[in-house]
Amino acid sequence: MATNPGMVSVLKCSACGTLDAGPREICPSCHEAALRRHEVAGEGKLLTWTIIRRPPAAFRAEGSYAVAVVELDAGVKVTGRLEGPDDVKGLGARVRLASSKDGVATFCAA
Amino acid sequence: MRDVAITGIGSTSFGRHDGRGLESLAVEAANAALRNAGVARKEIGAVYLGNFIAGPLSGQEVLAGIVADELGLENIPCTKVEGACASGGIAFRHAVLSVAAGLCDAALVVGVEKMTHASGGQVTQALNCAMDNRSDGPSGLTFPGLFGLAWRIHAAKYGTTRDEVSAVVIKNKANGLKNPLAQLGANLTLDIIRQSQPIADPIQLYDCCPVSDGAAAVVVVAKDRAKGAPDLPIDVLASVQTRGSPRIGGHQDIVSFDATVQAAQRAYQAARMNPNDIDFVELHDCFSMAEIIDSEDLGLVPRGMGAKWAAEGRTLVGGDIPINPSGGLLAKGHPVGATGVGQLYEAVLQLRGGHANQVKDAAVGMTHNLGGAGIACTVSILKRSDA
Repeated sequence: MATNPGMVSVLKCSACGTLDAGPREICPSCHEAALRRHEVAGEGKLLTWTIIRRPPAAFRAEGSYAVAVVELDAGVKVTGRLEGPDDVKGLGARVRLASSKDGVATFCAA
Repeated sequence: MRDVAITGIGSTSFGRHDGRGLESLAVEAANAALRNAGVARKEIGAVYLGNFIAGPLSGQEVLAGIVADELGLENIPCTKVEGACASGGIAFRHAVLSVAAGLCDAALVVGVEKMTHASGGQVTQALNCAMDNRSDGPSGLTFPGLFGLAWRIHAAKYGTTRDEVSAVVIKNKANGLKNPLAQLGANLTLDIIRQSQPIADPIQLYDCCPVSDGAAAVVVVAKDRAKGAPDLPIDVLASVQTRGSPRIGGHQDIVSFDATVQAAQRAYQAARMNPNDIDFVELHDCFSMAEIIDSEDLGLVPRGMGAKWAAEGRTLVGGDIPINPSGGLLAKGHPVGATGVGQLYEAVLQLRGGHANQVKDAAVGMTHNLGGAGIACTVSILKRSDA
């Protein structure tokens, strides 16, 4: 299922409303098997980032790339990629979703 | 529950063991531990073997039974345990539990890993089995990357600098030079470290432990059976295991791991001790930044001061709290499944008073083994039986 532009797909519990980055089988809060796909705005703040210069075999073809942890404004933490890390002002900087591929979000400076 | 003591230790050197298999390394270490304990083979009532990636890298499982068979042990329960980098520590805890519970009077703990025959990419891929690959793995994150992420937060919160972190590397590499079992001791300078290759910014080459082969073993017995052992028995005051979040997003921030904090609290409680009672620690420095975080989580160094204490020399062998006198994972090496058992080997040598980097008057030692992105942790507290 495609995600709307600028949105990140997370999970929302239809029983208690808890949001989670997922994937998960049951709600981490109420333990109901009631997690549904839910889209939230791909905007938030950069918690931290690194540049992977020695990738695992499965990612070798990509060369080096930046991985970031972003806290979306919806309150969910996402591990994804960071585009143009030099443009980002540092930890706490505002970032937004640039693109998404195979369920991995890529962020850039907002 | 009964009191438990360690009566025997054995270890291979950590490093490259070209042409040798997992079984060969494990049997060498285990046989040495059985002999050191002076225990008859028929007295061993259980085997717990820590290993992480023999499947993907060597295509061999059921190692616990294979090793017991070679050692000539009885048809006893032989169990392989896996908890990523904490596999060895978890194996030890299970052996302690089975003796403490009275299920057997003596148990053998073995840890083993063989890694250097594989390519760097294969090793990184295999180690990534320790992540929750539904969440963090798909981003292409690696374990050096995890500690690169942690470093930036530690630097932002506490002002930690490259050169302060390097003090951890310089200390452990220098300790490793004197440890005959260590793979990669070295005399390093701030400049050499600053100029080393970037791996996962800000992590550079010397911030990372090497890829290693090796095995270590200990024999644990009921304390009332420890009298008469050839070498000084070492009491196990606490052996605790905890779980933490498998995911980065599940941690409050990644400059502290709940699994370590809780394991330490429970270990201090079980031993009726506090951090001031610990004479030295062998902790899980898979990366320089990991030592800094661990030392704070264990309550041995004030929060945020891990790197600064290292830079001030307070974690040297002769310092306020000697950290990793063995050289740690950074210098001694990190044959993953063997590491936790290797830490116990080093701690027992210290408490018996015969370590190459002897901590003066060491009576109480701690070991700390951490797996995955903080998902599994063991903390043990050991004490000289005559102290």
